[in-house]
Amino acid sequence: MIPVLGLVAGVVAGLLLQPTVPVPLQPYLPIAVVAALDAVFGALRAYLDGIFDDKVFVISFVSNVVIAALIVYLGDQLGVGGQLSTGVIVVLGIRIFSNVAAIRRHVFHA
Amino acid sequence: MASRTDTGPVAPRADLLQYLSDTALDADYARVTAARGAPVTSTARRRGIGPALGALLAFGMLVALAAVQTRSGASEAERESEALRAQIDDGRADFAALTGLSNVLQQQVADLQGTAETASQNDADLLADLGRFRTLTGAAAVSGPGVRVVADDAERTKPGGEGAVLDTDLQVLVNGLWQAGAEAIAINGNRISPLSAIRGAGFAITVNYRSLSPPYAVQAVGDSATLEARFVDTPGGQAWLDLETNFGLRFDMDTVESLSLPAAPAARLRVLYAERQGELP
Repeated sequence: MIPVLGLVAGVVAGLLLQPTVPVPLQPYLPIAVVAALDAVFGALRAYLDGIFDDKVFVISFVSNVVIAALIVYLGDQLGVGGQLSTGVIVVLGIRIFSNVAAIRRHVFHA
Repeated sequence: MASRTDTGPVAPRADLLQYLSDTALDADYARVTAARGAPVTSTARRRGIGPALGALLAFGMLVALAAVQTRSGASEAERESEALRAQIDDGRADFAALTGLSNVLQQQVADLQGTAETASQNDADLLADLGRFRTLTGAAAVSGPGVRVVADDAERTKPGGEGAVLDTDLQVLVNGLWQAGAEAIAINGNRISPLSAIRGAGFAITVNYRSLSPPYAVQAVGDSATLEARFVDTPGGQAWLDLETNFGLRFDMDTVESLSLPAAPAARLRVLYAERQGELP
């Protein structure tokens, strides 16, 4: 319950405060969100598996976000930012679907 | 699934998709749990929920920010395309207005050209009229075919004698030439204008206030083919026939192909009192 409250509080804070994202970082916000989504679903699955560890979650969250943004940044510098974004999204998307499938099995036992 | 995650590092697999879905869950969870011993369902409660809650908070903010940014970006793009559409509409309106203006101006140009043509036609008409009137009034020197008349006193006649040419004789002669169709007449180089008088002053005859002496050479521009024949039929012609036969005055009329008559003096063309009625054409 408390994690869900934290999530909601984050969304509300983001909507209310609307902190300005520096313009150079703006292109990497969507990819960072996808990477964070992957970390969050991984954490949820680990929690349901009974092997959740908050330290691992925080580290994977931060490193996912930073590395995804870095990869896309590197791609932008090399002129293949679009393709690298697609690659990162595909990989993260597959991971998210796998984790959500496992979560589904836990929740619905199916 | 759980059995796979708790075996150490996952070996590389040829099937990338399979590998991706197999390693979807970070292996670190399993490793940390194995190192700690028994699975703990709620480590958060044990360690305090600070870090995980912070990460979730950050995640929520990220999602909200991305959504807000995407929406504002979309609305901005929409605003821009709206502005561009407005510019296109403005440009089209300007184009239509300018096209209309261009049509109006073209019409005006055509009208003015028509007016200019009419004006230059009027100018040409006026110039033609002016030339005709200057010719008729004697204001301009003229040349053309016609007749030359030489009238002289009878032989052995004293000035003022019976055989002398009188001013009335010359008046009759000039009148007869006008009647016969002459267009310009000069006597001894003195052009007859509408204000010229032929009168006697003592024994001399003056034309345009200049005294003449015999013989009197009268030049008349007109149709050289008919002028002489028609003059004979006029009262002036008859009168001179009488003068010739009864008083012995000498009279010679020759047809000339080319005559040159001077202009009348300016004093004989002055208009001081007569005012023109009506507008010029």
